[in-house]
Amino acid sequence: MKNPLGADLVIPALALGFAVYFFVSIAELAWEAKANGVVIGGVLVALIAVQLVRTAIGLVRRRGTLSFEPLWAPREALGKRVGMVAITVLFIVTLKWLGLTLGLLAALFAALWIMGARGKALLILPIAVSTAAYLLFVVLLNSNIPHGPIERLFS
Amino acid sequence: MSWEFVLQQFGAQFGLWWVIVPAILLGIVVGILPGFSPQNTLIMLLPLTLAVPVEQAMAFMIALYCANHLAGGIPAILVKIPGSGGAAATTLDGYPMTQKGQAQQALVLCFTASVFGGLITSLATIALLPWLSQIGLYLRSVEMVVVMLFGLTLIAVIAGKDTLKALIAGFFGLLIGVIGTDHIYNTPRATFGFLELYDGVPLVPALIGLFAISEALVMIEEKMIVDESGRARALAARWSDTLEGLRLSVEKWWHIVWTSFVGLFIGLTPGAGASIAAFVAYQQSRLWSKHPERYGTGVPEGVIAPEAANNGVTSGTLVPTLALGVPGGSTAAVMMIVLQYHGMVMGPRLFATNPGVAYGVFISMAVAYIFMLFTILPLARYMSRVVLIETTYLAPIIVLVTIVAAFGERQYLFDMSLALVFGVIGYIAHKTNYHVTAILIGILLGPIFEQYLVRALRISQGDLTVLFSSTLGNILWAFLVLSLVLPLWRNYAQGREAGEKQERARR
Repeated sequence: MKNPLGADLVIPALALGFAVYFFVSIAELAWEAKANGVVIGGVLVALIAVQLVRTAIGLVRRRGTLSFEPLWAPREALGKRVGMVAITVLFIVTLKWLGLTLGLLAALFAALWIMGARGKALLILPIAVSTAAYLLFVVLLNSNIPHGPIERLFS
Repeated sequence: MSWEFVLQQFGAQFGLWWVIVPAILLGIVVGILPGFSPQNTLIMLLPLTLAVPVEQAMAFMIALYCANHLAGGIPAILVKIPGSGGAAATTLDGYPMTQKGQAQQALVLCFTASVFGGLITSLATIALLPWLSQIGLYLRSVEMVVVMLFGLTLIAVIAGKDTLKALIAGFFGLLIGVIGTDHIYNTPRATFGFLELYDGVPLVPALIGLFAISEALVMIEEKMIVDESGRARALAARWSDTLEGLRLSVEKWWHIVWTSFVGLFIGLTPGAGASIAAFVAYQQSRLWSKHPERYGTGVPEGVIAPEAANNGVTSGTLVPTLALGVPGGSTAAVMMIVLQYHGMVMGPRLFATNPGVAYGVFISMAVAYIFMLFTILPLARYMSRVVLIETTYLAPIIVLVTIVAAFGERQYLFDMSLALVFGVIGYIAHKTNYHVTAILIGILLGPIFEQYLVRALRISQGDLTVLFSSTLGNILWAFLVLSLVLPLWRNYAQGREAGEKQERARR
């Protein structure tokens, strides 16, 4: 099987995009503010260039393809992985309204269900973890984490 | 300071066991959870520490602080989630030991290295305090630039098979570390318009994302984090595994001693912290090892070095706080507030006017470490059972609980989103063999490196030769060059030896 070289380019692409943005953002600044970034960014761009050349050579010599397969593999875990990230995004977005306890309870229930947990654990774990989080963050530490219906009920 | 005085202080500190033991337990809980720093905990407990006599307050804070440093290694070993930046280097060999079914041994190594590292350096500090307090004065920006470079060379050291990928990851991390306002004019750089990034990239969300979330997304692929043989070993774990860990610790006693002193010396410099000490100690440990190629596969020295060093830092950090009145770190700053509230004047006079408090701090630290050994060591066997939990349950709990923990340090919702972004970057890096530790080293050391470099260049008005202007700095440069050249020379020598052996075998 040929090397999936496309996947190897994702981090360099992200790094290159960030380096370009970085250079643009510091263009007008004094030398003290940009000296370190220019040196680091310059070396980073040079290293990415070497990686691109290495990939191109691999492609020309047919040692690899532009496949992104390692990022998705194994396919049977892809749904769980995407689901996990989506639930986390939803948890963060809805935290302002649901509050820590209810949000964590719902998110953990959904995440465990997606992961294939069934039976008592599916109920017990979210309740136990969200209760512990409530006690630690709200009761003990009195942190600024958003309060929702449950926190308001017990306040 | 007489021996009688020291013994009397030890007796007094042992009498405070009722303060020290609860502080140790609280410190362990806080240390295990990423996002909960000792300084935040101490700030929350200020009403308590300000209300009790200063000796009790200091004993409580010191025990909590030391236990926190020790506990960060526990999740680093068990689930590859460092509880703090100082434990990030512990994941390099601690987690592979867990995957091999040696979690209990790794935990015992972590505990003994932490306890004896902390104990040895606190005793050394008590004996050498007048001299140690001067060292911080000699380590200025120029010397610290070189110390930072020691840590940064680890990026190349951990590269494994693909140096180019490790360097890209490391420099990507370094550039991320430059985000935020600069150290001279406070002008924002590459903040994407977020005010929350003006102070730079916060360490906790980066740590949680790169390690905890990315690892959880990867562990979904397997039923358990250990393979079948590792599971069988974990199931068969007995007290003999704890004894095996203790035997390994005794065997590597010298390693614990010298790496803890690396931590002590780095801790003496205000601003330098446990994460720098841990990475530098790991790099030095690997450099002087007879088998550097085994590092990263689960070797005891790879757990001992960072843990002994990050606990060696604890006493080092307090030296400039007490002797010079310059806090060596944010936790030391909180302790200084408590001491000043109780009317203590920091500086050299403290040792003459209040020797009980000044030396008592380090004696209290030594006593806390002694208590810690007996409190935590028996727990290693039970803690190691975490690896038997199926990833079906482990992964969602890790992702969601650590996302909440990301909120803990700065109390910004933004940090939760940032942790997720770093989680996705870490996952991609993990799957394509770009070392996440290299990215983290960059993020950790980058801003501090820049701070010292810019300060040195500012003093010299941009003249780069300032970096070679001090004797101590030049000695450190020589060591740095040696650190880089020695592995190359050793590889060359080993290659030549192997070639000669092959040649002889052919004849």
